[in-house]
Order: sequence, then structure tokens, then C-alpha cells
Amino acid sequence: MSAPKVAVLFGFGINCDHETAAVFNLVGGDSERVHINHFVSGNRALEDFDILAVPGGFSFGDHLGSGRLMGNRMRFALREQLHAFVAAGKPIIGICNGFQVLVKTGLLPGPSAEKTLPDFIQRASLTLNDSGRYEDRWVTLEFDEESPCIWTKGIQRIDCPVRHGEGKFVMPSSTDLDELAANHQLTVRYVDSTTPVGKGITDEPLPFPLSPNGSMRNIAGICDATGLVFGLMPHPEAVYAKWLHPDHTRNTAPGPLDSDALGQWEGEGLQMFRNAVEYVISKR
Amino acid sequence: MTVTRIEVTPKQGEGMRDVRGDVVRRQLKADHALDVHDVRSINGFLIKSNTGPSEIASRVDDLFADPIIEDACTNTLFLTSSDHFPITPDAVITIGFKPGVTDNPGSAAYDGFQTIFPQTDLTDASISTYHTYAFFGLPDEITTEWLASTLHNNLIQRAVIADKSACSSGQWPAIDYPEKPPQTLTPPQRMELEISDAELLSLSETGLLALNLEEMQTIQAHYRDEAVRDSRKAVGIVTDAPTDVELECLAQTWSEHCKHKIFASKIHHVDPETGEDTYIDSIFKTHIMKPTHDLQNEVDWLLSVFHDNSGVIAWNDEWSVCMKAETHNSPSALDPYGGAMTGIVGVNRDILGTGLGARPIANTDVFCFGPPNWEGELPDNLFHPSRVFRGVHAGVRVGGNESGIPTVNGAIVFDDRYIGKPLVYCGTVGIMPRKLPDGRESHIKTPTAGDIVYMVGGRVGYDGIHGATFSSLELTEESPSSAVQIGDPITQKKMLDMVLEARDAGLISCITDNGAGGLSSSIGEMAEYTNGCEIDLEKVPLKQPGLSAWEILVSESQERMTIAVKPEDCAAFDAMAQLHEVEATPVATFTNTGMFHVKYGEETVAYLSIDFLHDGVPQLQLESEWSTPTPALFNPESIVLPENAGHSNLLLRMLGRPNIASKESWVRQYDHEVIAQTAVKPFVGVQRDGPGDAGVIAPLHGNPQGLVISCGIAPRYSDLDAGAMAAASIDEAVRNAVCAGINVDKMAGLDNFCWPDSIESVKTPDGKFKLAQLVRANRELERVCRAYKLPCVSGKDSMKNDYGTGEKKISIPPTLLYSVFGDQPDVRFTATSDFKVEGEKIYLVGVSKEELGASELAFMLHESGEADGIGGQVPLLPNPESNLKMYRALSTAIQAGLVRTAHDCSEGGVAVAVAEMCIGGRLGAEVDIDGTGDAGEWSRLWGESLGRFIVGVQPENEAKFLTWMAGHPTTILGAVNNSGKLTISDGYDVLVDADTTVMVDAWQKTLDMTGGVA
Repeated sequence: MSAPKVAVLFGFGINCDHETAAVFNLVGGDSERVHINHFVSGNRALEDFDILAVPGGFSFGDHLGSGRLMGNRMRFALREQLHAFVAAGKPIIGICNGFQVLVKTGLLPGPSAEKTLPDFIQRASLTLNDSGRYEDRWVTLEFDEESPCIWTKGIQRIDCPVRHGEGKFVMPSSTDLDELAANHQLTVRYVDSTTPVGKGITDEPLPFPLSPNGSMRNIAGICDATGLVFGLMPHPEAVYAKWLHPDHTRNTAPGPLDSDALGQWEGEGLQMFRNAVEYVISKR
Repeated sequence: MTVTRIEVTPKQGEGMRDVRGDVVRRQLKADHALDVHDVRSINGFLIKSNTGPSEIASRVDDLFADPIIEDACTNTLFLTSSDHFPITPDAVITIGFKPGVTDNPGSAAYDGFQTIFPQTDLTDASISTYHTYAFFGLPDEITTEWLASTLHNNLIQRAVIADKSACSSGQWPAIDYPEKPPQTLTPPQRMELEISDAELLSLSETGLLALNLEEMQTIQAHYRDEAVRDSRKAVGIVTDAPTDVELECLAQTWSEHCKHKIFASKIHHVDPETGEDTYIDSIFKTHIMKPTHDLQNEVDWLLSVFHDNSGVIAWNDEWSVCMKAETHNSPSALDPYGGAMTGIVGVNRDILGTGLGARPIANTDVFCFGPPNWEGELPDNLFHPSRVFRGVHAGVRVGGNESGIPTVNGAIVFDDRYIGKPLVYCGTVGIMPRKLPDGRESHIKTPTAGDIVYMVGGRVGYDGIHGATFSSLELTEESPSSAVQIGDPITQKKMLDMVLEARDAGLISCITDNGAGGLSSSIGEMAEYTNGCEIDLEKVPLKQPGLSAWEILVSESQERMTIAVKPEDCAAFDAMAQLHEVEATPVATFTNTGMFHVKYGEETVAYLSIDFLHDGVPQLQLESEWSTPTPALFNPESIVLPENAGHSNLLLRMLGRPNIASKESWVRQYDHEVIAQTAVKPFVGVQRDGPGDAGVIAPLHGNPQGLVISCGIAPRYSDLDAGAMAAASIDEAVRNAVCAGINVDKMAGLDNFCWPDSIESVKTPDGKFKLAQLVRANRELERVCRAYKLPCVSGKDSMKNDYGTGEKKISIPPTLLYSVFGDQPDVRFTATSDFKVEGEKIYLVGVSKEELGASELAFMLHESGEADGIGGQVPLLPNPESNLKMYRALSTAIQAGLVRTAHDCSEGGVAVAVAEMCIGGRLGAEVDIDGTGDAGEWSRLWGESLGRFIVGVQPENEAKFLTWMAGHPTTILGAVNNSGKLTISDGYDVLVDADTTVMVDAWQKTLDMTGGVA
């Protein structure tokens, strides 16, 4: 059986395309970095792929708001292709700038639990961190185990870095957030690492730097109502191996490197990508 | 065409906040201790287009405003809206760009505008941006003019203000579109050189040519040559004099910046103390190139040294790596933000222009500033050090982060003398496959005559004309915007994506960066390969019409590469550029005529032989004379310490010194983890806030083979001996790398010299001494690098780092930044500085000597008036050969997994090093410095002797570690504990007793200039 084909977008200031492509390959995907203009021009067809990843970066310098200009290119030039991709039940992930792009295209959080196909209307935003600073720091994340998100199945808590200046998730009213919460679309939150695993999630805003940006309800990432489209500000791909975790020199080496896989050196972030690859295979 | 104004401001309400305004409020508090109640912000756009205001207004929420978080208004000022601004502000300041200055948000908005209005005729349409800040609760004594001066740089920006009375009468500042006055093209001029020597010099000075008399005379003589005149006649160019294009081109090519004339000069060196009287024919060839070439004969991994944009080493069978570091000092003094940003994006292009194109994968940055808390006098036209710091940091942050390249290593050094000229070093590491898919070796350029030469990326404009020479002029209110440039990382990123694809498709035969000297240098240098080129300047795309031929040729406009493509590959190359939306224009052809032939359309405007252009510059003859500096001695015996808490108190003061204090709040704002490869980050330890010694990356995803990147810098040792300064810098860089487990048998270095003017003249009466400092530094560089088997694969020098003249002259301390990069066999086995666990045994590797001269402690106690001076014995490196053996032993112990804790011992000596290790681990330690050397207690505690490390070893590995280190000085210091405090004793005498939490606070607070987080 052929490996699921993953389109990893690049161009115009997307920066994390190499590592995002690499992590899909490490879990059995067949990824390809595809310049967004290949899809716009019709050179390549989005429908030829099983998974779409919008990586992190600074598309168009994030001028006029993070992810906004890239979001517009997708909203106006790839509208039909994206609609068809979602309608076909194929997974999409947006990481960091990619999450910002998906929010600003309106793919996240998407219309509602009843009407799940994209309407490309923006309902939420990611804005400047309360600190006013871009920062690279490690955070602890906990996942809603009842979330329909196919990307996060079986993941409870991980550490990974955030690297953003505009990661504060906001929606116009608390009713909007209540609705997403009820559908378990608030997939992943910043938590205090000292809380017991499974007990970290809270709606009360956590202080800096536990919540690095002041997000409403400590939201780090959300999914659409189908659970197929998922976006988050932190970078799970940046902890694909344990040697990328800041504590790796503090712990005992877990063991030798497997010759063709990371083996015991696999990092906590990789499962997310494996989930999507396995999901595609399971649907065949 | 009409101009439409759009203003956008953050929504007010539950959970919403005006962060841009709040950042201004906090910075006023942090930098000026000024409390303002509230600052609100407005972003403005001035859209010059054929699209009408109502049409634009209908799409505002699709482009300019985010409807979830922002409100917008069209063709009105938000301040007139009482809904949005119910309270009258005390001051309003609007800041926009001056005409012609790079406006990145404006360009991005224009790109977005095309997405929304694709059918509109956009010829000459453009968008300019501005920011408005409204201040509420401003103290009465603060003038709006002063406030505006803190928020903009009048070299590149304009400010329009409303003070309290203007605000109360509703006279809001409305900035207009920055229209650039039209420029008219001046045809090439004949430059008369049959003039007197005095007139030649005056021509050089007024024309900003920066050529000396001998060089001007060499050019004069060239045009008297009958053979030259005959060949010029044949192409129809003025025969007996240069054109302005030629003179400018020679000035650029022969500039100190491009030809490194001081490093290439013939130096008469005298040392009355030893009786030495000798000639050195090029410091560079003698002390840098020769040792590296000698080493190249011994090892098989030095692929390319000196001649390319960066030095290349073979890392493994499939990949090679390269590194380059540059300085951007003068531009950063003029505009800290723009200068630093062009510095980092510029050095990334050096990597992209190495071989057939390498991919930048890591950045380093090292800054030297005046003290951020400087309260003394500030010379005219200079920014306060804290403002330089903020601006430079922001420029590097934006340039590096937006380029998607992690900043993995760096340093910040403070000294009063850097107020006169800040030093901004930016470095980049690159990686490339050793063989391209078409079988060519990637580090070798392969141009042939007939290849088409493209200019790729940005356009050419007035910015950066005479960038290098302008900095020597006095700044004025009306200084032209051409003096400084602002980088455009996104244009460059698009170009980078495209170039690497073109490389892998085999479309590139030659590539180089457009930096200093513009096309004149980039095409001129590449034309040496085929021995000729023909350029048509009329084909070069311009930012604005009207540039004269010489301006097009020498403009240093950013974000451009020069790339040669075979004629049969041009169609594929063009298609790739179109896909990436990158402008790529064929502007020249390589020839083998021996001539640098420049046309504007059909007319020949420059016709110079490649030989004369590159090898015609006469060698400088310089005088050097050494005398040992004798500053007042630092005598620790004379220091009066309070009973009991003496050294503890000193430790807390030392931890708070800007040179030692944590730079975390700054460094954390750089992305240091993009590309998912950073195995040792800039800050380490249990709270991830202890100091890292070196950056470690594993750039091949899934493969733990790594690279170490480190640096060393010790400028204050130059106060005693610039030779010792150089040795200390190199040793520090290597030690830092050893702490991370570098393979000492496969490491390479970069030498970046920043010196004050060292040519004796009226302006520089002590030029002989400063040149002697350079001679000594280079002699030590050769000695140490030969001993360490450390090739200098690339380097750079910046030789005019002075401010002002006469009594008021400020010269920087002679400064060598030494960077090291090399192989780390397996990043799973590396070490970090933080103590890991209670019971860990602490060792000193190396020996402490009586070397307190120019130490951080001496400077601190001298500045406070507690000590007479900083003089004394500067740290020396008498036997580097044995150091290398010790370093190899420690590095391999780390690679073998025996050592997971190692820290370089430098500024502040053993006391500071151990304190930092406690901070990183949030642990205590009990340390005894008895037996660490013959030196006195002060030296063993605070001395900065080279060749030392503090190492932590788990008890179960202790015996094996000691066997491993046999033959190298390895002394037990004590053990890590849970006491929450550090105690250091010397035998029975307790010297230091400090709580770890107190040390954390002392170390972190000095440079946390954030003004809080919310």
C-alpha cells in the first residue's frame, strides 16, 4: 500500500517546510514541499494529496497581521480546491503561522457542528501576545481527550516550543468559546506543568509564561467540527526527537538509536503526525 | 491617481488590548523611568492608486483590518471619532517614512492589494504606512518633541505631532504620502585627472571615493598609457580620462572594505622593547592565509578557504558546511534597526552565494555596546546605548526570525568606548550537499564565457549609494535617505527558496551576493573566473527611474544575488523565478576578452581591464611601533572587604555586571529552534535560563550527527596587550565548543577584526601603536591557531571604528571576534552548564594562575573607585599544544557520555562559573578552591586564566573520568548539593556563601529591560 501523500506548503516566507516535511516522512508519510503557486496556477492539484500541512514561518512578513496575506491568497485563489479537500474528509494541519493562516482563511474553527463545510468566514483571530514580544520558549500542553481531532488521539500532555509574537487566541464573545468547548474543539491548551497529568486544563487565564501569550481560556490550538482540520501555535515538529528537548542533557540517555527509526529517541511531538498518516490509511 | 487614507486601531473591550501602544508605554518606563497612564496606537495606510476610496472602503476588512480585533476608517482620522477616542489625549505623534525609504509593511500591503483588486491598473500604485500613538496621562514636564525623538530616527522617518494645546483644539497630525522628488538621469561624465596632486586628493574627498594620493596617481597614470587609449578608442569611450562610472567602480573595488588594504599592506614593525625592526609583507598572507594553507595540506576536509563568500569544510560524506561572519557597525550607528537588519540578511546572502549556493541553517550575533545604563555625557549625533541596543536587537530579531534561520549562539559585550561605535557582528552557518544531482561538486563555481548573468531579487535604488563611505560624514537633519537601508527579509526569503531550487535543478553555473560595491563588485569579481564580462546597465530594473549609470553600478540596494546561467538553461531559470514571484533579469554576459565592459544601451560607459580593476591597487606602506601599555595596577591586597560577606557581596555585584548578567530577555526573542535541529539552546537548565556555552544543531532530520557553533571575544584585554586579547578570544571560542563535545580534529574558525583607525595621520597620531596592536594580535592568532590545528577559513576586517577627532575622539578597544564551527559526532552525547543533581562531583580542568589584569573584577572595582586600576598580568596562553590535548580528552569524555555538565570558565573566573552552574540547575554546591594553582586567593577565585573548565561528573562515572583525564590538570572542587546555596572556601577560609535564589535575581535583573510583561 502506498504511503499517504502529504503536501507541505512553502513559499512567501513559510519557514518550517523542511522539518514539517521530514516529520511526516519519519512516520510513514510521503511528503513533498509544494510551492503554493503550483496549486494557484493549476500546475499541481491539491486533490492528488491525502494530507495538507501549512507550516510555520512569517508569510509575507506577517505585515497587516500574522497569516493574513497568505490567508487571503488561499481564500481567494484556492477556495474551490480547499473546499473540495475538506469535503473529501482529508486532514489539514496548520502550525504556528499555518494556524494563523487557517484561522484567517476561516477554515478554523469553521462554521458549526451542524454545517461543517467551509464557508471561508473568519470567526476568531490570533493577535499580539500580551507581552508585546516575540518569544521562543518551551511550554506544556494538555489535550482534550474527547476532542474529535484526529491529529491528537491518545496524546495527553507534551512539552514543545512556542515561537511567535502573535499567538493570543481571541473570539468576539464567550458564547463563541462556549460553543467550541461544548464540541470539544478547544483541542489543546497551555497548562501548568506542575499539575497532575489530565488535570491541567483550566479556563482561568494562566500567568505568563505558563500561557506565553494571554490566549483566551489558555487556548493553544483548535480543530474544526469534523476534527480533520487542526491548528496550533506551538511546534510539535520541533520535538520530533528527544535530543531536541531542553532536558535531554539532564536525563539518562534512553538507549541506542534504532537503525531506521528514532526508536527510544522518538520525541513527544511525532505522534501527532503519525495519527494523521494512520488515519488516512485506516480510511482506505 | 488618488491617495486614500485607511486607519486601523485595536478594538477596546473584554479580553482585547492595544499591545503596540502598551509596548511604547513599557519602554518609556524601562528606558526613561517615565510613567504614562496609557498609550493607544493607530496603524495608517496611504494608498496611491486608481481604485477609488469607496471601493477600497468596501474591502477594508479583507485586507487592512482584522474584523475580529480591529476597527477601520477610510479617509478620516480615527482621533476625530469620539466613539473610539472619548478622552482627549495629552499628545499625539504620527511617524511615517521619509520618501524612498524601504517600507516593508507598505510593500506587503501592496501585494495584498493586488490579490483583492487583481484587475486594477496598478502602474505606479503604491502604499505607504505610518503609526500614530496617542498618550494619556503624560507628565507635564515631558515635551511632545522629546517624546517624538525617542520614537523615531529622523534620518529615515518623519514625525508629525500634536501637543497638549493642539490636542485640546482637535488639531490632529495628518501625515501625507511621502512623494519622492523626480530624479533626472545624468549622462556619463568625463573625469579630468590631469590635475595637481592636491586637486586629485580633493576630488577623492568631495567625490566620496576614499582613495589616497598614490591610488589616485595610479589611476591617472593608467589613462596616460597609449595602449589603454588605443583600446578605448576602439569601443568609443573617452580615451584619456576615466568616466565617472569608471572612477566610482575603481573606488569601490579598491576600497578598504573590498580590498582589505591594511591587512594586505607592507608594514614596517618596530618594537623598541625587544629591538625588533622588521617588515611584514601582508599580515593576511603571513599570519592567516599561510597557516591555513599549511593545514590544508594535512587534512582532507578543508574544501574551500578564503576565495569564496564563506569557507567550506566537508562535514561528512554527503554534506559540507560553511560559515561566514560580517560586521555592520557604521550603518548600525546611523540606524540601529535598519543597519543591524541589513547585517544579518546580508551575511545570509554570503552563504547563499557560496559555491553554487548553500542553505543558511544557523545565525550567530555578537554585539558590543556602550553600557545600557550609561548616565554620562553623550557626544553629538550619537544615540544612547540603550537605544542602540534596542534597535540593533530588533533588527537582528526581525531579520533572523523572518528568514527562518535559528539564532543559536552569540554574545553581548559592554564597554564605554563602544558608545562611539557599536559593533554588530552577524554570522551564518550554511549547509550544502557535497555533490549536486548533476554530479558537480557544490563548492566549486563553474562559469564559462557566454554564460548569461542575472540580477535576482530586489531592484536597484538610491539606497546604499556610497553606503560604506557615507558613515564618515557628519549626520544632519537633512541627511539623505540613501545613507541607510532597511532589509526586506521576505523578498530575500522568496529569492532564497528559488535559488536553492535552481541550484538543485543544475541551472546555476556561478553565484555571488550583491553587497558592498553592488553590481560593480559582484559581476566584477565573478568576471575574474572567465576573464571578462559585458554589462548593460539599461537592463537593470530600478526602484525609481532616473538613476545615472554609475549609481546603478555601485548602488548597494539589498536582497540581490548575481547568478550566471548557461544560455540553454535560461528559459527554465526564468520559469522558476516566475513561480516564486522573484524578479530575475539578465543584465550581463561573461566573456573572455580580459575586459570589464559596461554599457548603457549601446554606449560604452566603462572599459577597464580585469587585471587593472582587481590587481591595480598599489600596496600600502605602513608604520607600526609597539610600546607596552602601563595602566595603573589592580592590586587586590589593597581592596577593603567588609567582614564575613566580602566575596559573597562581590559575587552578587559581579553577577549583575552587564558583561556577565543574563541576556535571556533579549535572546529569547530570537527564534533559536526553527528547522527543528537545535539540540543545545542558548539557555539551558531546569528552568531553561542558565547560560549555554555553545550552540549545537543536528541539521539532518532523524540523524543525530551534529555541528557546534561557538564564539570568543575579550576586547578589554587589549588594554594590556592586543596579542593576549586575540589568544584569549580564540581560546574562549574553542573552550565553549569543547563544553558541547566538539570533535577538536574537525573544527574551523572565523576571524573578524574590528579595529580603530591604525594608519598614522593628523587624525590618528597614535596610528603606529594601533597598527602594532594589530600585528601582535595576528602573530598570536597564527601561533594559537597553528597549535590548535584550527584553520581560519573565512574572516573580515572593519578598520575604522572611531568617532570624532582630537580630544573628543573615541576609539573602540581593538576587538577580535573568533567564531568556531565544527563536527559534533552525536548530539545525544553533549553537555550543558547546569548542575544536574545532588551529589554530582565538581572538578576544575585546567590551572588558575596569577592573572587578574584587565579582568572583569578589576574593571568593576576600578570603575567604583575601590581599585586604582586594571593593570597587571593579562591571561596568557603559553603552551597551547598541551591545551589542545586536554581539550581533546574532555571533549571525547563528553562524547563518551562520561560528562553531561561542563562550563567554560572565563569572565569572573571560578566564582562566577560555579554560580552560573548553580543557577542553571537551581541547586547548591560546596566548593573548595584550595589546590587549583599557585596563585593567590583572589586569582583562584576571580582570575580569568585561559584553558579552564568547570565540570560536573556523576559519582558512578568519577573513576572512569579521572582515568580518561590522566595527564591533564584535573582538580576536585567539591560537590553539588540541595542546600540552596553556594559556598566557596579556600581550605578553612569560607570566601563565598550565597543563596542560589539571590544569585538568580542578581544575574537576571540587570538586563531585563522589558518594563514588565503586561
